[in-house]
Amino acid sequence: MTQTLVRPEVALDPPPPPPRRRRQRDPSRYFRLHLPLVLYLLFTLIPFYWMLVFAFRPAGETALVPWPITFEHFDTVWNGIGFGLFFQNSLIIAVGTLVVVTVFALMGGYALARFRFRGQRVFLLALLCTQFIPGAMLLIPLFVIFKGAGLLNSLTGLVIADTAFQLPLALILMSGFVRNVPVELEEAAMVDGCTRLRAFFAVTLPQLRPALVAVGSFAFIGAWNNFLFALMFASKQDKFTLPVGLSYALGEFNTDFGALAAGGVVAAVPVVLVFAVVQRFLVQGLSAGAVKG
Amino acid sequence: MRALLVALALLLGACAGAQDDKTTITFWDNNGGPGRTPIYQELIKRFEAANPDVEVEYVGIPSSSVQQKYDTAIAGGSTPDVGGVTTSYLAHLAGQDALEQVDERLEGSSLKGKLIPGLLETVRQTSSDGKLYAVPASGNMDVVWYRSDRFEEKGITEPVTWDELVQAATELTDPAANQYGFTIRGGAGSVFQLLSEAYSYSGVEKFYDGGKSTVADPRNAELVRKVADLYKKATPEADVNNNYTQMVAQFTGGTVAMMHHNLGSTADVMKTLGPERVAAMPLPKGPSGKRTVVPNPTDGFAVFKGGKNTDAAWRFVEFLVSAESNGYWNEKVGQIPANTDVRGAEWIQKNPAVKMALGVLEDPATVLVPAPVHLPEYSSITKTDTEPLYQKVLLGQMPAQEFLDQLATKLTTAQQDWEKRK
Repeated sequence: MTQTLVRPEVALDPPPPPPRRRRQRDPSRYFRLHLPLVLYLLFTLIPFYWMLVFAFRPAGETALVPWPITFEHFDTVWNGIGFGLFFQNSLIIAVGTLVVVTVFALMGGYALARFRFRGQRVFLLALLCTQFIPGAMLLIPLFVIFKGAGLLNSLTGLVIADTAFQLPLALILMSGFVRNVPVELEEAAMVDGCTRLRAFFAVTLPQLRPALVAVGSFAFIGAWNNFLFALMFASKQDKFTLPVGLSYALGEFNTDFGALAAGGVVAAVPVVLVFAVVQRFLVQGLSAGAVKG
Repeated sequence: MRALLVALALLLGACAGAQDDKTTITFWDNNGGPGRTPIYQELIKRFEAANPDVEVEYVGIPSSSVQQKYDTAIAGGSTPDVGGVTTSYLAHLAGQDALEQVDERLEGSSLKGKLIPGLLETVRQTSSDGKLYAVPASGNMDVVWYRSDRFEEKGITEPVTWDELVQAATELTDPAANQYGFTIRGGAGSVFQLLSEAYSYSGVEKFYDGGKSTVADPRNAELVRKVADLYKKATPEADVNNNYTQMVAQFTGGTVAMMHHNLGSTADVMKTLGPERVAAMPLPKGPSGKRTVVPNPTDGFAVFKGGKNTDAAWRFVEFLVSAESNGYWNEKVGQIPANTDVRGAEWIQKNPAVKMALGVLEDPATVLVPAPVHLPEYSSITKTDTEPLYQKVLLGQMPAQEFLDQLATKLTTAQQDWEKRK
């Protein structure tokens, strides 16, 4: 006797979908979470809106939407104030600082993470303490040193000054990142015949990509925005940078809001672009360093 | 071959010699920016054409950081040859022994006897030894800008006394139409302006009498009460936080009919409203009928001791303050030229605000009451320490007399300390 096994109908039915979480969500969540976030977003974006309105609106007008748009303020900052040259100087200094800080932070951070040496803790503490010293306090000693070394009025001098200011934090960050890369990976490579240097380049460095992006971005933005050193260590008009150019719009008796806003747009664009490109790595890098560093 | 080498050497020597002949001086503009830089560039071009042996290197310093820039340069021994300065920090620079004393140079100069004595005195008073450490180039004066069109509409004449100003402010106020007669500077920079108002009303002729500050004089307190009484009745409520920018925005935006500021706002005011809708008057007088004026910081040029070419630097200063350059400069920025030969210039006749200010400054009946801007603490006393107190007065939380008493005590102590340090 043969028996035909007939599957009960019930068995053919797909299992009931799990209850959708969204339906169970508390509607007040929108008020608790989304609304504050939207308000915060507005709070963050309003200055940008203000900047764009003033930059593209003819002087003396009060419309909330800049239409028809004008480029007169950009002409003022680019040709009148000389933003073209300032932009070039800022770019050279920021990229120079980025490269030098990243390379030195990589080497120093690796040493701090992988080697034990006498005075290591004191050294780390000293690095941390440098962060409590405001730039204005370093101004005169640095000025005297730079003058003696012939580094005043030079973009190289500004790269060195910015590097000196950015490097301690970069070192601390980078050493945290290097510690996160298991040392066993390097050891395995060395067992396979690699030298330490080869193991570093072949195994550790690729793992540090987010770290390089994070440290490099900080260095770039720090140097890009540095007003104090650029104004104090340069006394030639052709060596000034964008932040100095921006402050030209703030006169003793009057403020050219159009020029200030247009200059702000010019100064903000590279930073926004840098963030847009690297933000994925930046978040990854920051969280890695922050939690396990 | 040898002849060729000799010729080349001679040529190179000649080139090097030609380069050495030219003296380069550095000039720091203390308020660099798109408004003033082109004016200086033009003047430098003219100077270099008239003095082919001197080359001027212009450096525009943002006004907000100029004092720090000078301080760093002095400490690091890297000062310019010539610098733009104002009396608000001149004492600070002279105190660091950074500036050349220019009395003797002025004595033998074409500028001798050609500078407004009041401005010279203002510059001289900032130094502890009574010497001149800068040559005045531009004077500034407090004025009341008013909407002449609205005055005409209401049939109001230009106020001469503070009581008339209060009356006009009240008549010009219509809160329903968002129209106010006056605007008070209650935020940043308020006390400096208030002191000008108080002394213009009280007629008190000295800032210090027997070493004690006269700020707390009951007549000064009377004026503070009068102004505070206008708050919210004839002024916008937001005035308690007003700084210069907001004040100008209210005035040029048409919300208020009168604004006390100085000639520095000429460009902003004229550009937006035009001479057909706005005019300037001196600060009104008080019951004494005297014209007492607290002068604004005076702009000028100083020769730095650290410069290598002080003679060329002085020539440049002389050129900048000569009648032609001084007239050109002040016409562009709308301020009072220090050189008296500019008085009759056509542009002054066409600029009623400058003409009026020049008239007040040169009137023998005018008494200048210089504020003690030479005190290192002056800025912190009149800003950080007492601006919040003035806001309390405006909000009715502090009596005017008590506010002035506190201010006077601080100013007296600071002056006594300064005398001791001299």
